[in-house]
Amino acid sequence: MVALGPGPQGSSQDGVGAAARIGIGGPVGCGKTALIERLIPLLQARGVDFAVVTNDLVTKEDAERLRRSGLIDPARVAAVEAGACPHTVIREDPTLNIAAGDELEARFPGLELILFESGGDNLASTFSLDLVDWWVFVIDVAGGGDIPRKRGPGVIRSDLLVVNKVDLAHHVGVDLEAMLGEARGVRAGRPVLATNARTGEGVDALVEAIVHAVLFTR
Amino acid sequence: MLLIERVLGSRLDPAISAKLHELEHQGLVDEVNLATADLARRRMRVTSRAGRDVAIQLSRAEHLFDGAVLHLDAEGAILVRVAEERWLRLTPRSIADAVALGYHAGNLHWRVRFEGEALLVGLEAPVDDYLERLGDLVTERRVIPAVVASAEAA
Repeated sequence: MVALGPGPQGSSQDGVGAAARIGIGGPVGCGKTALIERLIPLLQARGVDFAVVTNDLVTKEDAERLRRSGLIDPARVAAVEAGACPHTVIREDPTLNIAAGDELEARFPGLELILFESGGDNLASTFSLDLVDWWVFVIDVAGGGDIPRKRGPGVIRSDLLVVNKVDLAHHVGVDLEAMLGEARGVRAGRPVLATNARTGEGVDALVEAIVHAVLFTR
Repeated sequence: MLLIERVLGSRLDPAISAKLHELEHQGLVDEVNLATADLARRRMRVTSRAGRDVAIQLSRAEHLFDGAVLHLDAEGAILVRVAEERWLRLTPRSIADAVALGYHAGNLHWRVRFEGEALLVGLEAPVDDYLERLGDLVTERRVIPAVVASAEAA
């Protein structure tokens, strides 16, 4: 890690710790990485200086996918191996992820945003607010229209719930409007967003939500 | 939008409290109300009691706290107010029930404190969400639940 001297306000923390940190969690296969691939060009178009930390069980598969995508400087993608338990490294002990974020901030001064992608997990997964300022939970239509009714902590407590793969609703017999309605019902007024990461539908609104929640002036 | 980039101090700091006292008399002290869990956030967008759009953007070295002063000038002040945290006190009837309760609380990753022969669970969702997970332990009154405020749980 690069040692930083005092920043303009005289605090040694002004260099590391200035970027907003957000989490993107959700079950295996819900489309977290695909959504990030869609977010990247939109954040770049807004001039947001950002980096990504991916979490996988025992590989660096998602990090390699993003590095190979050609969308982002590979050096701006860090990987954390979560071991057997993907929620542990984003909730009980997020030390590895915090360190990865600190290292990216030291390497890229001026970083404004770090996206932490959790390893694919289950509906109980939530992010520690020691790690992120704000977090998104992603579920998908093909996972079943009854997911919101199952009231998992990820579905209920996330700052934003994204329902992805909306194009598949009629293929898998899901009433999308009913699913979105139930999702809103269990979240006590917190927002719900419908997306299709394949076409980019709804991803603009996801960027808007991120900017509104943590970037403010972009 | 009012952008807050640092905490100015505590409402109890002598230099600040004198100014706050004057502003209070003029009805110029506004508040943002936060849950205990939200204090860990360094960035958030909140609406103050008076309806101001407040964007908080602190370095990771800074923390919010009850009574943190976010804004202070001749026209007014904005303070952080933290809602009192609620805890669920779960009192098992027997050692066997305590063992089962301990298993469930751990398995569900609940945030707990110990209080003699009772377990305290920090409430981050409606209390029924917690009681439903305990199922028979609660419905058969093998574990007796009671919601308590943080002062009482201290």
